[in-house]
Amino acid sequence: MAQISLNIGDGNTSCGNIDNCFNSFNSFHISDEDAPIMRWLSPLEPSNRHQGVRTERFDGVGNWLLETSEFREWRCGEGGADSAVLFCSGNPGVGKTYLR
Amino acid sequence: MPLTARNISSLVIDSLCDRAHEDNIAVIGLYCDFLSQQEQTTTNIMGALLKQLVGRGGIPDHLRVAFKKAKEEFGGRGPRLVDLMGMLKIGIAAIPQVLICLDALDECVPKRFSEILESLRDILRESPGTRIFLTGRPHVGEDVQRYFPKTVVIPINPNPNDIRSYVEMRLDKDSEPEAMSNDLRADIVRVILEKISNV
Repeated sequence: MAQISLNIGDGNTSCGNIDNCFNSFNSFHISDEDAPIMRWLSPLEPSNRHQGVRTERFDGVGNWLLETSEFREWRCGEGGADSAVLFCSGNPGVGKTYLR
Repeated sequence: MPLTARNISSLVIDSLCDRAHEDNIAVIGLYCDFLSQQEQTTTNIMGALLKQLVGRGGIPDHLRVAFKKAKEEFGGRGPRLVDLMGMLKIGIAAIPQVLICLDALDECVPKRFSEILESLRDILRESPGTRIFLTGRPHVGEDVQRYFPKTVVIPINPNPNDIRSYVEMRLDKDSEPEAMSNDLRADIVRVILEKISNV
């Protein structure tokens, strides 16, 4: 299991560092002894889910968001707790019906 | 389908991750999902965030103690939300900055919104530098703004450039390229974009 996890992490070039929690859970070595603690914390495996979503992703779509001043300001975090939350509002599948 | 908020979320997560290395930042989060509603309780969601933090820096002693204690009780019990929140807040405060991304908030059971948002607000009180990225259907915006009045809202609409690249990608994958001419190709892209701008 540890070996499989490592391979997933290795294949991920843009996010292959230990600081990245979305990725590090896959690549960080959790010993057999500690695995029950991780399972106890939560049965959910968000990092695995992220791998699935990103492989289906169509690259280039949504890049505009990263360039908006709203996103940049939120990311810089100069407004402190007041500007801590960014909410992207949209309907899932928007575009889908138009393109069918 | 690529033009969804979920696509945007995964892009944002990866883009935040790219910078995380230089800035010593932790990126944690979760994709909410209709199909996982039963499992995605507030407790399990907060537990998953803590799990991601622990995966980064190792399991702290106080967590080992809490686990051992829970196992010793009759039949063993799962972690309680209040305990998880305590450990999560300690974990977040120990890192220069944590970015939390929750995709498709509206796909959780509605009665859980307030509990989830309250937990996030709790984290923010303790660590004001935390950044929170949320996506969801427009109606959830009201809930979010009730807890975070200064939330910045960005509407995700089909963007003409996004749609153009998507249509062109699909045309490139056409199984009968010999039936396609440049004129036809240009017409297809033009008509689809026109239809969308009329919606």
